[in-house]
Amino acid sequence: MSDVIISIRDLSKSFGDHEVLKKIDIDVCAGEIICIVGSSGSGKSTLLRCINKLERQTSGKILYHDQEVRDKQKEINQYRSKVGMVFQSFNLFNNMTVLENCMLCTRKVLHLSKEEAFSRAISHLREVGMAPYINAKPAQLSGGQKQRVAIARSLCMNPEVLLFDEPTSALDPEMVGEVLNVMKELATTGLTMIIVTHEMAFARDVSTRTIFMDNGYVAEDDKPSELFTNPKNPRTREFLKRYLAG
Amino acid sequence: MNFQTPNNTLEWMVFLARKYSNMFIDGTWLTLYIAVIGTILGFLLGYLIGIIEDIRINPGDGVVRTVFIKLVKGIFGAYVEVFRDTPMIVQAMIVYYGIRQFGPEITPVAAGILVTVLNTGAYMAETVRAGIGSIDQGQREGAWAMGMSPFKTMLYVVLPQAFKNIIPEMANLFLTNLKMTSVLNVIAVQELFMAAKTVGGNYYKYFESYLVIAVIYFVLCFLFNKVFILLEKKMQGKTDYALAVEYMDNL
Repeated sequence: MSDVIISIRDLSKSFGDHEVLKKIDIDVCAGEIICIVGSSGSGKSTLLRCINKLERQTSGKILYHDQEVRDKQKEINQYRSKVGMVFQSFNLFNNMTVLENCMLCTRKVLHLSKEEAFSRAISHLREVGMAPYINAKPAQLSGGQKQRVAIARSLCMNPEVLLFDEPTSALDPEMVGEVLNVMKELATTGLTMIIVTHEMAFARDVSTRTIFMDNGYVAEDDKPSELFTNPKNPRTREFLKRYLAG
Repeated sequence: MNFQTPNNTLEWMVFLARKYSNMFIDGTWLTLYIAVIGTILGFLLGYLIGIIEDIRINPGDGVVRTVFIKLVKGIFGAYVEVFRDTPMIVQAMIVYYGIRQFGPEITPVAAGILVTVLNTGAYMAETVRAGIGSIDQGQREGAWAMGMSPFKTMLYVVLPQAFKNIIPEMANLFLTNLKMTSVLNVIAVQELFMAAKTVGGNYYKYFESYLVIAVIYFVLCFLFNKVFILLEKKMQGKTDYALAVEYMDNL
């Protein structure tokens, strides 16, 4: 088995009485591209937010290279700088230009020199086709452009793992394509990715492993070729059938 | 100088303004001085409290940190409550005579600035809190998710945006201060109101004398308001942007 980067161990999360995640166990290995699918409310996004420590788990733990990520703010910050996240609502800094968005954290968290931060920003913005827009503010960009900038911004940190929380759900169909293309490109670079998505075709074609979540459980965790053509769990079958019909 | 005896209100106003120009000018300067210094320091105090209010206690925090944060928040919370719920004129009396009675000698002007700072700080703390609250949670999460500390996130991402949103309210507070310095005459600060009171008494022309300072207050506020509107416009930034042609190859 290849290197395990993140281990999720026995992870549960409740909001009040409502248990959203129930004893999740997942190992994420280097180079894997994991797509998490499932109906809304099944806990996919919460799981991703727990992995980035934006939500605190109720029980269980997250290991990063066999070390538990504890609740100390410093440890969390250090861990997050290695495990980036791309959001459904982009979350670009509205008070900054595209370039400033891509340079802020490399300057203030990684303490890179201005020149180095700049060249990183430009090279990743080139990858996503947004380099000409360095002077634009987020409000002046389309949704697809914003998401591509957000991806470039996360890449500037040189993360080991990049989490995507429904990166295309807020986009119209035309823009979905441009973002998915960028993600497909990324998938070929060997970057480890965990992607929560409703794009079944993308999950089937790009992921190396697909997880189907249902009601807070991991219902099925398999190669996409198996999960999409020969689902073992009846809930997976039902879910996929409805997707194909819809 | 030789003055003709004034016949009507306007002539009396001009007469008083010219004859006592020194007093009105000195009063105007002192009013501006107290308002500007008091507002700036008050804003800083308000920002400090607003930021501290926003600090959250994490499950991983130690006992010392937890207790300390709660204590500081409690003290600032009580201060804000007290100063928002009492009139500034009463605060001025209590601070001035309180310090004179129990503390060192303090000049009326210093006491006046102190009261203005404390009063502004209390209102500003609430304004900053609201301004911070108006910024979408996603803005912070975007920074946190890349390993930025909550403090740096506040400094570089949240505060600049909150600042922009509360400029109109900051303008309000400053204009209020400019006018509220008039209550400091009760502790014998020689500001504009005090000048009018003195001048009016010399000729028993209170109406005309107060009309003079009403004009001065109005002009000051009017001009400062324009400055704030300009600042607000400037903060909005450019509405267009230039494509960076040197990176157009991959468009």
